[in-house]
Amino acid sequence: MTETSMRLDEIRRRTNPFNPSSISISLAALVLVLWCWHSTSMSIPALMEGWGNMYRYIAGNPEIRDSGFFPPTIAGPTVMKYLISMLETVQMAVLALILSVLIGFPLSLLASRNTLNIIIPGEQKYSRLLKNFLYTTVRFFANLCRSINEIIWALLFVSAVGLGPMPGILALAVHTSGVLIKLFSEGIETVEQGPIDALNATGAGSIKVISYAVLPQITPFFVSMTLYRFESDVRSATILGFTGAGGIGVYLFDKLRSYENHDVTTILIIIVITVAIIDRLSAIIRDRYS
Amino acid sequence: MGQISARNLTLGYGSKKVLHNLNLTIEQGEFLSIIGPSGVGKSTLLMAINATTSILDGEFQVLGQDLTSLKNHEIKALRAKIGVIFQGFNLVARMSVLNNIASGMLAKKNLIAALFKYYNHRQYEQVYEYMRVVGIEAEALSRCDHLSGGQKQRVAIARAIAQKPEIILADEPISSLDPVSARRVMETLKHANEKYGITVVSNLHQLNYAKEYCNRVIGINQGRIVYDGPAQELSPSIVDRIYHADRPKKEEAIDLVPSFTGQGLQMPA
Repeated sequence: MTETSMRLDEIRRRTNPFNPSSISISLAALVLVLWCWHSTSMSIPALMEGWGNMYRYIAGNPEIRDSGFFPPTIAGPTVMKYLISMLETVQMAVLALILSVLIGFPLSLLASRNTLNIIIPGEQKYSRLLKNFLYTTVRFFANLCRSINEIIWALLFVSAVGLGPMPGILALAVHTSGVLIKLFSEGIETVEQGPIDALNATGAGSIKVISYAVLPQITPFFVSMTLYRFESDVRSATILGFTGAGGIGVYLFDKLRSYENHDVTTILIIIVITVAIIDRLSAIIRDRYS
Repeated sequence: MGQISARNLTLGYGSKKVLHNLNLTIEQGEFLSIIGPSGVGKSTLLMAINATTSILDGEFQVLGQDLTSLKNHEIKALRAKIGVIFQGFNLVARMSVLNNIASGMLAKKNLIAALFKYYNHRQYEQVYEYMRVVGIEAEALSRCDHLSGGQKQRVAIARAIAQKPEIILADEPISSLDPVSARRVMETLKHANEKYGITVVSNLHQLNYAKEYCNRVIGINQGRIVYDGPAQELSPSIVDRIYHADRPKKEEAIDLVPSFTGQGLQMPA
């Protein structure tokens, strides 16, 4: 800790927001955006010209009778059928979420440096190796689960266990486990070390230290991330049906393909309302755990 | 042979020596403070008692255990008998006073009960007793982030007592507290020391509190013990020797000023 005096002009130079390095970073960001824009053929004129086509699509294909999206179907039995199917979708998401928390939470303890140090104390070569091995393996597993999309997992599980909600549940559970391991472990690594030191100093075992010094600190974060993933699982589950993996997506895919777009609108309205309700409930639960 | 005894002990981190050739015996029931300029190794000595600092040379026995050759589970068993109080309290902010205090009893608690934070009748009674010892029972169910600094430190003391320790180590327990809270915390420590016969070893910057509450003071400078004797005999010249044995570097001298001008050093008339 050597303390050298600092001249005012140096302080001004170092705090100038328009210094060469900030300007070059901004220019680099601009170049990146332009490059991506150009490579992906983004075009505002195309969107401007295309609006009309979107309107015609929503209004319906003139060659196919009754293929417009409006008005939505409101026939009781049909709506009921979709509501039940939506309920099944939510049930799929519930099970998937529980499975992914059961898999993701314990593994996230092994994917965080600080909890690994509680579980495997000591800095000897052997324990350092073991810690690095576990850390890398779990992180790799999480990346693998996460980077393969739910749809692909669903296709794989459909081939294993056949059509129906079950492959959908498994697909969501695997993918969400990967996401939760990442989210949870990042949360765990931000907890204060002080309480952990204090409980380590009482000679308590690692699980007790984690449950008293780590978990209470991250409960709000866990609750909030888990609820967010639930909402996200419900949204994904509405698409998984495309692969035959159950849920409302089966109808959605079917109706889209057969141009029964009035039904598609009904299904989309049901999905939007369901997600809105979940969002509301999540907010209430989150408030309780802040 | 005392509760804590060191012979020619050298302590440090890795290969860096911080304290050299210490010879020291601490008996059960003592209320002792370690004083000295910042950065001379007061915390190092304190945390060595808890088997946290590396022993580089010499002999060191705590509660009959030889610290130079402890296995992992023996360290855990030893730490269970030693309570630690930190300058920054180290409580779990979002947890209640009750749970924070009960966390001191974790080492002996059943794992499943610990996971569910379940306490039996006897454990409730014990925690309640410790709350009363530190005077925090009115806040039993409050979350710790709603407490004042002094209250937090008293919760931390109760947590340490809940361990039923033979020794309490207090690492600058009152450094971040106002004088009134600091006095209350020192009194609570003294009370725990007298009521349960717990040996208390603490690092202090406030010499007036050291004189008032402790029966023994150890002064450290330049990595060595330069004073070890009754608190009452801390004369200005001894204090000068502890803090100025060899004038510390410039930035440390600046660091020391507050403890001489503020609530710190008050020379007897």
